Amino acid sequence: MTPILQVKGLTKQFGGLVAVNDVSFDVQPNEILSVIGPNGAGKSTIFKLISSFLRPTRGEVLFKGERISGLAPHVVARKGVVRTFQETTIFKGLTARDSVIAAHHLRSRAGLIGYYFETGLARRDEEAFGRSSDEILDFLGLGEVKNEIASNLPHGYLRALGIAIGLAASPQVLLLDEPFAGMNHKETRHAVELVRAVRRRGVTVLLVEHDMAAVMKISDRVVVINFGSKIAEGTPAHIQKNDRVIEAYLGVEDESIGL
Amino acid sequence: MFRPLRLAGLAVFLLAVFLAVPLAIKAAGRTDFYYTLSSVALLAIASSGVWLMFYIGRINIGQGAFALMGGYVSAILVTSAGVSFWLSLPLAGLFCTAVSILVGLPILRLRGVYFAMVTLVLTEVARLLALALPITNGAKGITSIPAPGAIGAFGLTLVPAFDTFAERNIAFYYLSTIMMTLCFAALYRLVHSRIGRIFVAMQQNEELASSMGINVPAMRIIAYAISSFLGGVAGAIFIAIAQSIYPSSFTVNDSINFMLNCFVGGLGYVFGPMLGTLVLYFGWDLLFAIGQYQLLIYSGVMVLLMLVLPNGLLSIRFHSWRWSWHKT
Amino acid sequence: MEQVVANGLYLGAQYALIALGLTLIFALMNVLNFAHGQMYVLGGFVTYVIYGQLRLPFVVALFASAITLAVLGGLIERFLFRTVIKRSVREEGTMLLAAGIAYFLDAVILLLFGEKQRGVPKIVNGVLRAGDIIMPYDRIVVGGLAVFFIVVFILMMQYTKTGRAMRALAQDRIAAQLMGVPVEFYSFLGFALGAMLAGLVGGLLVTITGVNSGIGGPISLKAFLMVMIGGAGVVGGAIAGGFILGMLESVGLTVLHAYGDITYLVIFAALLIFLAIRPNGLMGKPWG
Repeated sequence: MTPILQVKGLTKQFGGLVAVNDVSFDVQPNEILSVIGPNGAGKSTIFKLISSFLRPTRGEVLFKGERISGLAPHVVARKGVVRTFQETTIFKGLTARDSVIAAHHLRSRAGLIGYYFETGLARRDEEAFGRSSDEILDFLGLGEVKNEIASNLPHGYLRALGIAIGLAASPQVLLLDEPFAGMNHKETRHAVELVRAVRRRGVTVLLVEHDMAAVMKISDRVVVINFGSKIAEGTPAHIQKNDRVIEAYLGVEDESIGL
Repeated sequence: MFRPLRLAGLAVFLLAVFLAVPLAIKAAGRTDFYYTLSSVALLAIASSGVWLMFYIGRINIGQGAFALMGGYVSAILVTSAGVSFWLSLPLAGLFCTAVSILVGLPILRLRGVYFAMVTLVLTEVARLLALALPITNGAKGITSIPAPGAIGAFGLTLVPAFDTFAERNIAFYYLSTIMMTLCFAALYRLVHSRIGRIFVAMQQNEELASSMGINVPAMRIIAYAISSFLGGVAGAIFIAIAQSIYPSSFTVNDSINFMLNCFVGGLGYVFGPMLGTLVLYFGWDLLFAIGQYQLLIYSGVMVLLMLVLPNGLLSIRFHSWRWSWHKT
Repeated sequence: MEQVVANGLYLGAQYALIALGLTLIFALMNVLNFAHGQMYVLGGFVTYVIYGQLRLPFVVALFASAITLAVLGGLIERFLFRTVIKRSVREEGTMLLAAGIAYFLDAVILLLFGEKQRGVPKIVNGVLRAGDIIMPYDRIVVGGLAVFFIVVFILMMQYTKTGRAMRALAQDRIAAQLMGVPVEFYSFLGFALGAMLAGLVGGLLVTITGVNSGIGGPISLKAFLMVMIGGAGVVGGAIAGGFILGMLESVGLTVLHAYGDITYLVIFAALLIFLAIRPNGLMGKPWG
């Protein structure tokens, strides 16, 4: 099976600091792949490189065989690789529903002139967006709060709203930015279900995360990053037993004090 | 789009501007108000361009440059090339649009104070260029610009030549207010359309807008092009009233004033710049009687206004419920 | 050639001090102090009154300029900016306030001092001749004082508790708050300090170029230029910007003199191109 996303030799340098060092991995269609690592490992830099919000110093990212690294972020989104943001980055003054409607931009058929004069095509677009937004919001369990101002929503709902905004852009690959951050047990279970639901829609999910437990539960495969380099790749079961991974998260076993 | 309440509001406004005000002026005998109100209308057009830039999240203190540019293009075309004033108007606007696209490409990705300061510099650059270039006649400027001629079609005179009016200022009053109405109607439509929503998305969160597939750089240029067009047209008409143009016709102070007009009216409201220009310009004019304390009172009131209504005059309307999602 | 450099250095030191005040205010409060030029003018006039008219020692006058502006700056921050920042929905709201304050100060200065150009007696007479360089002693003293104040400022920011608190505040307001730094107090202090620096330069330069009520705006514009070149919110950027502008002016006035008034046109054009490549100036912190 040809991978839907290929990361090849991705390297990013900020001045003298090498944040990401020659990272390569593939993402298979419709799988859930997680990129994990301790804080500061370079995960979010990788995330931004894949979604083209940063340019790589070396290496490239391929989507369905086509190079997307270095393209403008909105072009990458158009091609089908869409990223979400952490909860603080939403549209403060809009309702949840309006936010998701706005995010349907890529599905519009009427051009800018059509929007301005509100032609029939533009109006039909709007109606379609409205219906699609309702469907997406219900799908993610946000049906009841869809008319609330986004900034009033509690934390857990905001995560789901971020995913809803992402889905509105008709992604083939959805990049989730720390979807489980700061969640309690119950919220995490709910979020795991949401991610599974997204995959059932045929979307490939690539997520970057710090929370090990949630990742192990949901991922088909895991890539582990530390100090900017890939240190392991495989199924959750395989990763959990990997010495280098354990060492990265817990530090070296301290034999001198018998631990 | 054609909701009854809004149409009624529009009708009231048009009646006031085109009927009530001229009658009032005639009754009060203050024909100098025609000039004042024409200025208000034109400055409001220029300010609305600045307002549109605020709408996409950029602080534009460079509108004076485009007003100057538009004025010069119109003046040069009318005096040197014999072009009719009416044709020179859209040409002036388009010239400014072209320049704004060229200039905008590199500078529009700057944000906040950096963009503001660069645009401030632009105003100065325009003035210095006007001084230095031969075509603009340097410090002597361009004078004795003829009044706008008639517009005729099919042998009928649609608009009589301006110098046939008993009071030139009345003609310019109608021209300015008609342009202002068209300008604000167009902007109102813009911000209530999907394009308006795209602009809001960009202002709130450029990265999020990009991730939704919005071509943010292109949309920024579109907004800047519209803004500059408005500045150019306003400048051109202003110069036609003054019948002369100098490098100092529009300065950094004017650029700052356009920005202030938007603030005073309220950045969140399409009609903000109209109200803001009216209040600030008229206020300044009315304070003339106080003589040397004019600037003191004017700026003092401005500061007070800022303290009491930091979100502009029009925020009074929505004062109560806006607090719920107020920035804390 | 060396004359040009010497002039550039002397100018640069003054400009750097102005830029430092502006960049400090920006770093701490994300506010572009439109009234910075007017604060400079006020400082100049205070020195004019105390040294020029009351004939008190220059040092006293300079001190008075500094204190007056520090107090004024503090009052402006405490009663005006703090209120507006709290209640304004949009970040840019403070710009209107700053512009209004600039106009207000302009009005006050005009009423108090009129439109005439004012000057003060030289603080030191005589001229230094070293090789090809001709430099009046008072310019050397003023330049030296400016450099002295810059150094004191840098030392203060690096090594005192106040300086560290302000740097923390500039880097990350929320983190600083969480660490217990009284951010409101240090904003207040920072604004006062920024204003004081502007007043200080005004007091210094009135002895060389005099002062009149109209130069506030152009000084603000120059200050903005320096901060654009060097980068906003960073001490090094302000100093670099100040010296660069000083040099450019000195070079431009000498070299381009033949072509008329195009010095600033060239500087602006170069700046626009420079900013297209390096949007945040040489060392600036990005906005937003």
